[in-house]
Amino acid sequence: MDRVFSNKRDIAVFVGPTLLLFVAIVLVPIFVSSYYSLLDWNGIGNGKFIGLDNYVEMFTDSRALNSMKNSLLFAAASVFFQLPVSLLLALILASSVKGEGFYRTVYFIPVLISTVVIAQLWSKIYNADYGLLNTLLKTVGLPDLASDWLGQRKTALVASFIPILWQYVGYHMLLMYAGAKSISSEIIEAAKIDGASTIRTAFSVIIPLMKPVLKVSLVFSVIGALKIFDLIYVLTGGGPFFVTEVPSTLMYTTIFDTFRYGYGSAISVFIILECLVFTIVINKLFKTE
Amino acid sequence: MKALRKNVLLAALALVLAIGLAACGKEAGDATTPGGNGEGASSDKTIELTLWDQSVGSTDPSAQLIPEIVDEWNKANPHIQVKRTGTPGEQYKTKIKTALAANEAPDIFYGMGGGSFMQPYIENGNVLEITSYVTDEVKAKIKPGVLETLEYEEKLYTLPVYTHIANLYINTELFEKAGADIPTTYSELLDAVDKLRAAGITPAVIGEKDRWPGMYWFNIIALRQAGYDAVVEAFHNPSKWNSPDIIEAARKLQELANAGMFNDSLFSMSYEEMLGAYNAGNAAMMFQANWVNAGIEDPSSATSGKVVVVPFPVFEDGKGTAHEFLGGSSDGFYISANTKYPDEAYEFLLYLSEQLGTRGFLAGAGLPTWNTEGLDTSSLSQLDLTFAELMDTAEAFIPWWDNVFPASSADTHKNLIAQLLAGEITPEQFAERMAQLEPTELHL
Repeated sequence: MDRVFSNKRDIAVFVGPTLLLFVAIVLVPIFVSSYYSLLDWNGIGNGKFIGLDNYVEMFTDSRALNSMKNSLLFAAASVFFQLPVSLLLALILASSVKGEGFYRTVYFIPVLISTVVIAQLWSKIYNADYGLLNTLLKTVGLPDLASDWLGQRKTALVASFIPILWQYVGYHMLLMYAGAKSISSEIIEAAKIDGASTIRTAFSVIIPLMKPVLKVSLVFSVIGALKIFDLIYVLTGGGPFFVTEVPSTLMYTTIFDTFRYGYGSAISVFIILECLVFTIVINKLFKTE
Repeated sequence: MKALRKNVLLAALALVLAIGLAACGKEAGDATTPGGNGEGASSDKTIELTLWDQSVGSTDPSAQLIPEIVDEWNKANPHIQVKRTGTPGEQYKTKIKTALAANEAPDIFYGMGGGSFMQPYIENGNVLEITSYVTDEVKAKIKPGVLETLEYEEKLYTLPVYTHIANLYINTELFEKAGADIPTTYSELLDAVDKLRAAGITPAVIGEKDRWPGMYWFNIIALRQAGYDAVVEAFHNPSKWNSPDIIEAARKLQELANAGMFNDSLFSMSYEEMLGAYNAGNAAMMFQANWVNAGIEDPSSATSGKVVVVPFPVFEDGKGTAHEFLGGSSDGFYISANTKYPDEAYEFLLYLSEQLGTRGFLAGAGLPTWNTEGLDTSSLSQLDLTFAELMDTAEAFIPWWDNVFPASSADTHKNLIAQLLAGEITPEQFAERMAQLEPTELHL
């Protein structure tokens, strides 16, 4: 085995096919997109080279800036709501509670359901006329609180965040659960013998040892938030009045509804760079700590 | 640790790129232009033509007719087999755009009529010109004046199928319950709204999540207020959108909205949900085109037999008449310029257009563009017949404005109307921003 790994030609044989695929379907399109982003192009015929005008427009257009703000807000919501909940669930499950397997499965179910199905489900929950939420509010005597959740400027953004946060709690929980379970029981027992309470053990022993997993969760969570598309697209389509628009839905409407491939490509390049920057920053943060 | 970081980076990068949709650019494709000689169909060789359309769904009569017509064609022409793929509307638009851009369009495909959708592809040469194929014999079978509306720079690219116009649907049961009269003028419309609201009935539904249903309301109000000529003029010269009549039309739409004309949930309701709500008898009025007839008349709908259709009310202070209609554009099928068998494709196009046009009319899918003399119309519902009668009273048509405007102006137009409906902009601001849209030619 060692000999295989030290032989450069063998490494090339094993890595080559994947690398080729990666280059062909990932790297090449990035460069092609980057080129398109410099064009004023309607998707057919020849584009006109306009330099960085698309990027200038992106950073001066209030609609695009608002979509970026929304995705950053959503990333923050993921970090400060989704991950703590996942961590709590993971720690509770990992501490050998009764029905561990059952709860683990239940929390993971939303991850298995297609996002489009989840969006349809929640749009029925939020429906202003016959939705579960409004019916519930009316039944418990709070009809004034009933509202058109996805149709109002005030509530649409938060209402569309909740299903996404909810969906991926199970995913991060499972990652963290695996991380917590992989900590040697001797260490935890040693902490107990030293008289540490459960909470103290969690904060001083388990969580610090879970750092690699937490980093992975954090990266996935932030990047997942920055590139969110499907749920928003089905739930609100970016509306009403662009309140729930995120860069990826804006990119989609720009390209497919208004035929502006150049500007749409500029947005896609922005999303890629944004995700890369955040990944690097998060890795740096964990390194210096 | 370093390896893990790299893995995370790579995994993250891969995930990011999963949405790099913009990357699917145009393929260099086949540089040679195939076909043109029509020799492909010697009788001992079977050729295959592909057909894409957007007719799916249980209440869409075309969704049943197209497979039938294709089957009959395939049986009668064993050497020219047609393979059909149906895709729902919004996805279809994306699919056909991508295929056309990649030079991978099917031989024959459905294209939205009215200008902005097909125009870039016609200009770019993606679509086969069929002017020379259309014989006088064929022309004689088409209703007078129809072919002219399909011409683009005096050339033909498609044949008519059937057409649609939008009118006001009235649920008579709900109107009676509220003691309201069917409105013929704007003040009667406001009066009906008050009475319906007082009786606890939602006067009208709009599925504004999809934005175009609300646009229909503004379009007809503007047409009634400013009149046909002024609207056509404004399409040519957008500065004319900033006119007292357009401001008044915008004000009237807001007045109706403020009077409680529309459902409270309009901004979260989709077009499909709007139809669901109307067919369930949850609203008294809807302004839509005749493609919704089948759903309203469906025996499972609460509205079956209770709905009548009338022209949109005229305005006391308006320049428009009840003989000016929103709609009238003919969606049709187009032949890809890359097809290997243009002659056979045209033959099928002719067969499909005529069969779908006449049978579609009889099945309630649309209003006829082919001669209907001698057809037995007893199968048509009362709604369909009323539409056909209204169509005969028509003096002028303007297609849905999002089909008339170039794509990005169409998008802005719909967004402005949504903001107008929500009261986020004033009628004056609306007219000012409309004046900044791109000019366009009016193709039917």
